[in-house]
Amino acid sequence: MEADKTFQLVGAGYKDTVVPVERKQHWWTGRPICSMVILGIIILACVGCRFFMTHDPTYMDLASYNLAPNGEFWFGTDTMGRDIFSMILYGGRISLFIGILATVLSTFIAVVYGSISGIAPGWLDEGMMRFTEILLSIPSILIIIFVQALIGKDNILVIAFVIGITSWMSISKIVRTEVRQIRESEYVIASRCMGGGFWHILRVHLLPNFVSSIMFMVVMNVRGAIVAESTLSFLGIGLPIEVISWGSMLSLAEKALMTNSWWMILIPGLFLVITLMCITNIGNYIRKNVNQRQSNM
Amino acid sequence: MKISYRRRILIFLLSVFCLSVLVFAMSRLAPGDPLVSYYGDRAERMSPEEKDRAMERLGLNESMVVQYVKWVKNAVSGDFGMSFKYKQDVMKVIEGRLVNTLILGGVGFILTFLLALLLGILCAFHENSWLDRIICKVGTITSCIPEFWLSLVLILIFSVNLRLLPGSGAYALGQSSSISSRLTHLILPMVVVVMSHLWYYAYMIRNKLLEEIRQDYVLLAKAKGMSRRRIMYQHCVRNIMPAFISIMAISLPHIVEGTYIVEMVFSYPGIGTLSFESAKYHDYNMLMVLCLITGIVVIFGNITGQAISEAIDPRMKEPEIMEVAADGSR
Repeated sequence: MEADKTFQLVGAGYKDTVVPVERKQHWWTGRPICSMVILGIIILACVGCRFFMTHDPTYMDLASYNLAPNGEFWFGTDTMGRDIFSMILYGGRISLFIGILATVLSTFIAVVYGSISGIAPGWLDEGMMRFTEILLSIPSILIIIFVQALIGKDNILVIAFVIGITSWMSISKIVRTEVRQIRESEYVIASRCMGGGFWHILRVHLLPNFVSSIMFMVVMNVRGAIVAESTLSFLGIGLPIEVISWGSMLSLAEKALMTNSWWMILIPGLFLVITLMCITNIGNYIRKNVNQRQSNM
Repeated sequence: MKISYRRRILIFLLSVFCLSVLVFAMSRLAPGDPLVSYYGDRAERMSPEEKDRAMERLGLNESMVVQYVKWVKNAVSGDFGMSFKYKQDVMKVIEGRLVNTLILGGVGFILTFLLALLLGILCAFHENSWLDRIICKVGTITSCIPEFWLSLVLILIFSVNLRLLPGSGAYALGQSSSISSRLTHLILPMVVVVMSHLWYYAYMIRNKLLEEIRQDYVLLAKAKGMSRRRIMYQHCVRNIMPAFISIMAISLPHIVEGTYIVEMVFSYPGIGTLSFESAKYHDYNMLMVLCLITGIVVIFGNITGQAISEAIDPRMKEPEIMEVAADGSR
């Protein structure tokens, strides 16, 4: 010990030499594990809601309506006597399903539209992009309400369809930019010379190239679609109250406000917000990864 | 510069034209009898001959193109047709409510961006400190909360339980001219409009600033003995102004959307509530005009925003604006 001290450096500005301990890089560092686990649990519970539900979510128990959370009804009951815990699981399935279906539809439209616009000659491309800008300039809730009013029906597929066909614009812009960059590549030209059709080139050559750059937007679209569904249902122009989803559960909020039943508003909304946050975290992780790769190249 | 202004006006007119065609075509494709939307219940009691005559008078027998031209002619002179629900001229119904929306949306918009700029500067100043991290975490959470739910929770807390603030409407009954009544009714909706968009834009501004403070000129200014505060306010913030204004322009549709949703939840008598009602009662004439007005405002805002940011910084050309847009689109 004495010997060590004699060799120590002293003086003005002396600093203990700290060897930075390299933190062990776990496979989970930087990954949104927490969000993925929570989202996974929510999805599993919703998909397998049969096994977890404590009551029949559609059964209206008129003897026990508007109850605060208690031992039998974990999250309480709503104004029609339905068990909120079971409704959340059961309704989550529909909310998530609409989110995914709408996203699949909007992504498909966006990829096709963006690719056509990217491949098309200048004037058509300009026109198509102006068209998307016009659509983007109307607040999407207004378009959704408009289309919804035109179709006039309210079931799950219609809602998903309406949300899907009104939310493809920003993805298609990115697709178009990416396609414009790679459309003059040798492999695309070669493929065209060999007689490859539009769909073939899109699937084999274009799609793999831009899939990573639209992934973030696609994940965010799931979030947007879930929000749109719940907002619409809440306002009473989406799903009817009999079809249970997180949004239609919240559409009872007005009655809940009158009786000050906080559980009817807070609990379903909390589930909604937690799901949205998990999706956002995962989306941000994807975006960060994409950016990192771009800067390394 | 003159040519570019002319070009911008041309783009604006073209966009408005396309928008009107789109909206018109959509409303004519609507199911249901258009007569109903003009005459309401009376249409059902009409005899076939009366119906024919009415169709002819309204020009519904003619082709879509002719109808569109007529509609535009009327629209230019300020006649957008009747509202089915209110049995009144569409513009008259809208007039009364436009001001309410402009107050909520306009003040909300300005507040959002003022606070976003301040928050962005604060975070960029204290990058990676505990303050920055906490603000980032809280911000991410608030940006995930849907507007309607946030409104509900606020109503539940402040209106139902604490009884501090009113939870619906724009003024108390019979007090439409009382400013204090209007103000108290404005607080909750305004908080929701600002809260739900604030972090999204503050984060963009923070990232722009973080990029900016890594530039070489900051090092030079520091070497010359400038204080951190002065570098930030006199150089960095000034330099991100063009980007800031384009973000503002691009954010318009989102903020308008947020305002509409908030209006619907608080049943605040504005354009948003009106559009929701007209969708519910299939009042297509009204809905059409509302879509058109909103679209025109947003397109105008976009073009003006681009023009301003180009005037401030001539280097700011289309591609860079697009980049910001891609960054900012949800």
